[in-house]
Amino acid sequence: MSNYVYPEVLVDTEWVVDHRDDPNVRIVESDEDILLYNTGHIPNAIKIDWQLDLQDQLKRDYINKEKFEQLMSEKGIANNTKVVFYGDKSNWWACYAFWAFKLFGHENCLIMNGGRQKWIDEKRELIKDVPNFQTTEYTVQKLNEEAIRSFRADVTPHVENNLPLIDVRSPDEFSGKLLHMENYPQEGALRGGHIPGAKNVPWARAANEDGTFKTADELKTIYESEIGLKPNDDVIAYCRIGERSSHTWFVLKYLLGYSNIRNYDGSWTEWGNLVRAPIEKP
Amino acid sequence: MNKIEEIISVFKDLDNELRLELLLDYAEKLPSIPEEYRNQEQIEAHRVHECQTPVSIWITVLNDEVCIYADIPRESPTVRGFVALLIKAFNGASPEEVEIAPADILHRTGLADTLGMIRMHGLSAVYKRIKDETHRADILNSANRKMINP
Repeated sequence: MSNYVYPEVLVDTEWVVDHRDDPNVRIVESDEDILLYNTGHIPNAIKIDWQLDLQDQLKRDYINKEKFEQLMSEKGIANNTKVVFYGDKSNWWACYAFWAFKLFGHENCLIMNGGRQKWIDEKRELIKDVPNFQTTEYTVQKLNEEAIRSFRADVTPHVENNLPLIDVRSPDEFSGKLLHMENYPQEGALRGGHIPGAKNVPWARAANEDGTFKTADELKTIYESEIGLKPNDDVIAYCRIGERSSHTWFVLKYLLGYSNIRNYDGSWTEWGNLVRAPIEKP
Repeated sequence: MNKIEEIISVFKDLDNELRLELLLDYAEKLPSIPEEYRNQEQIEAHRVHECQTPVSIWITVLNDEVCIYADIPRESPTVRGFVALLIKAFNGASPEEVEIAPADILHRTGLADTLGMIRMHGLSAVYKRIKDETHRADILNSANRKMINP
């Protein structure tokens, strides 16, 4: 195992097999497609959909404290449950769900390294049965939003003070050549480019071909040698709607131990549509 | 009631869970594309770029009957399900039937509520492509027929 700063948040597929029936563990699948879980999932895993379960259905925001407690209760997750997330696309959506859980201060969150892809590549069993867990009591102890989430009002002083901003989109989005991710035109913006001062590190650079995270040394080369970040920097990461940047947030915070890294979930769909917001093109 | 209306009426009366199950059922029955479409050139030429999932759609109209094929990755069962539903409704139908099918199908089936608003854009684009392509194929056919029988 690589010399990550918090190696305990990453578990491998074998660990998930061993803890499948552990009453203190809840395996959660989080994918881009709401039906992918239904086509077959890790035995005893439950589904949490990033759109319908984690987002407010009226305003652009995540669910509130009460809804989160209700969701946890329904899914049979207690305050001290170890929740292990996995999903498609190198755990992109798993990291997003992990980050959302951390907004509400859930203590024991883990990621299954390699996600769905690794489980399938290792020819492990996928089943369709949806497990039923007994409802639990859940009380949010402490909201954690301020430490890990950035709003537009946080980004402006960041830009003015030349503090580090990481844009994890593709180079064509960063440069403004594309107003949206290839194949994702519904997340469009009126203007292209990036937030002034931001450095571009596409999120996928942190992952290997098999969906696992790169080693600590490889990650340090990318984020520190190449981009010049340091572990005690005040960093804000963004993409288009904050889900790719939650993957990078996870990498910087847990694998490289950055103490002050926040995800700007408004991201380019907010900044690129905002009247008078400054934009830079390389 | 034609096929699309039947399908709409089945979907709209279900609750979210059953609707998803039915959509998954459709996803698993999406017919595979014929051999002659299985190449990069064909797949690229028929891409629906507005959809976030890599979707390619082929439409032909022969003897006034529509024939639709689609290539959609297995990791996107929602899109596969929706397109399979449209194929079931429209294969063998006349181009007119496809053209007059309701524009707000995602709302009428209740899928807009079940899947969430963000997912609607890509699916609407696929639906629009099917209707537009059918219309285009139909016009081309009529033009060809006129040329053969002036």
